[in-house]
Amino acid sequence: MRYISVFPIVAILCILFGSAFTGLVIAPGVASDVVRAPSVGLVAYSPSEAKGRKIYAREGCVYCHSQQVRNVKADENLVAAFGVSKAGDYFYDLPHFLGTSRQGPDLSNEGRVWRREIGAPARDYLIGHFINPRQYNPNSIMPAFDYLSTQELSDLTDYIQSLGAWKDNVKVAAAGL
Amino acid sequence: MTSIQDRDNSVMLGNGIKPKSEPLPIDLPDSAAQIWLYSGIFWMSVTMLIGVVEAIKLFYPEFLQGVPALAYGRLRPVHINVGLFGFMSMGYLGATFYMVPRLTQTPLFSERLGSLTAWFWNFNLLGGCMGILMGFSKGKEYTEIPFPFDMMIGLLVIAIAGNLFSTITLRQERRVYVSLWYILLAIIPFPIYYTLGNASKFSGIEDAIINWFYSHNLFGIWLTTLGLATLYYMVPKQVNKPLYSHIVSFVGFWTLAAFYPWNGGHHVIWGPVPMWVMTASVTASIAMFIPTCATMINFGGTAWGTWEIMKRDVSYRFSLLAYVCYVGASLWGTVLAVMSLNAMLHFTNMTIAHVHLGFLGFGVPGLIAFTYFYLERSLKLKYSQNLAEWHFWLTMLGIIGYVVSMGISGWIEGAAWEAGGSPQSTMVDRYPYHVARAVSGLIVLAGQFLFVWNVYKTVNYPVSLPTDSLDSLQKTGVTS
Repeated sequence: MRYISVFPIVAILCILFGSAFTGLVIAPGVASDVVRAPSVGLVAYSPSEAKGRKIYAREGCVYCHSQQVRNVKADENLVAAFGVSKAGDYFYDLPHFLGTSRQGPDLSNEGRVWRREIGAPARDYLIGHFINPRQYNPNSIMPAFDYLSTQELSDLTDYIQSLGAWKDNVKVAAAGL
Repeated sequence: MTSIQDRDNSVMLGNGIKPKSEPLPIDLPDSAAQIWLYSGIFWMSVTMLIGVVEAIKLFYPEFLQGVPALAYGRLRPVHINVGLFGFMSMGYLGATFYMVPRLTQTPLFSERLGSLTAWFWNFNLLGGCMGILMGFSKGKEYTEIPFPFDMMIGLLVIAIAGNLFSTITLRQERRVYVSLWYILLAIIPFPIYYTLGNASKFSGIEDAIINWFYSHNLFGIWLTTLGLATLYYMVPKQVNKPLYSHIVSFVGFWTLAAFYPWNGGHHVIWGPVPMWVMTASVTASIAMFIPTCATMINFGGTAWGTWEIMKRDVSYRFSLLAYVCYVGASLWGTVLAVMSLNAMLHFTNMTIAHVHLGFLGFGVPGLIAFTYFYLERSLKLKYSQNLAEWHFWLTMLGIIGYVVSMGISGWIEGAAWEAGGSPQSTMVDRYPYHVARAVSGLIVLAGQFLFVWNVYKTVNYPVSLPTDSLDSLQKTGVTS
């Protein structure tokens, strides 16, 4: 140990880091059980939805809202109502918005709560809620996004209404058959 | 046998290397270390201030409402990125620039390059944060800093790593102390995972896996390693005796290097990822128990029987606080990776408590300890003992308040969700803990204010320590 050289330390560190790199970066890129296809029925984002998604990123919605339903007891109600999230559901997501915290509700199926078919009432609710969340829930700690332009609010609403909405269409199609 | 860290703490201009003329201020020894360290303290204050503003917004959302740049969703990434790249990176790089010349008994390869990279880093980070506030965030956690500022950080780290690595290669002291191992682990892989995390264009689940691979390496083998290197250097000097066991630090280092890079996947436990990603990451997270225990034994053994120093030396007390919180945060991380507990507590404030025990409990006191250590042992200046005492107790109170309030809140949330509740249904229950968190943050911020004031006064209106005081300090330092 007295004259331990730097080279072997560096070499072993490279091997150790390299193994983790192989395991968590290269392997998911080549492994056959990583889903690299969209879920059946998944629809790519429309231009306005994609714009809304950018606003979602810009305003940091992801820090308080997850987009992921897990097959665990804490998510029981979500699983019962919407089912567990699958890898293919995120195919078009760049960047991903899986999230790390739920200061507010999970949004992965928000488009099935405030469905497009409801029409104006759903849109009015979502936009009104963005502008002043405490008008609807006095206990809410969500920031008021009253500084967004009308167009931005509309795009963001389009994006929120797209979340998980395609799953209902799949069900309808399956029932139709 | 004297160990390396017991060597003379003299300021070096190299063994027998005579400067041709009077060196410019930028070329003086430790000039780079000073810029890095003071910048780190500056950003530490900034990130704490932003943290307090956010904490207030989380129970009183109308606070500062109406200014887009001060909206919660924009402040939070700034809080995180300033914490990661400003406070932790810069502060501990300051400690690194201080340690490396001493551990290698060699002047820094280039003080000028070190200082220039520090200034570039500052302006670059400022630019990146302004970019986030103006709405150019990349939108993925820990990679928010927009182009080109994000890539500049990678380039700067390459310049810094080159500077440090050249110093290590040219070293006069052939033995490589454990702090240098940690520094090597910090500087070598960084450019790889950093570039991967910031520039990759994967989508969906692959993006998530790589995102967490990058960000956990950022905590694990960039910030933690620099922090531990600092503690391994500083604590034996503070207690004036060699490290408890070099074998244990050997075990601790290599197990950390082997397991930490695998931890990333534990952010997506129960998520829509292949089972083997979860299994590998949970295993590695639980295996982190070994390096944590090694650190616990090593510092515990070194600190054993040093109550006298603990009472007298605030800097040493901060080191111990950092040590205790490091062990606590690491064990907590291991526990949170247990799949059943993760199922309950993931997405709750428990994660936030864990993270803050790491950053606020380990990162903050560690850097503070180093700053007091640097003022006293290297600059030989006398800082206000009184202010430092206040600082210590305020910081400790704030850390406990923060971690306990968020921990309880997280448990309440997890329990409520398992009983069929939702984030909205726990809103009222969380309220008092959110207030307690903000108060704790304010207490820490008050301590930080005293700290900055103390450092400013000490450096600008210097009072030298009596020449014999350091000697007597070290003599009485050896107990039993």
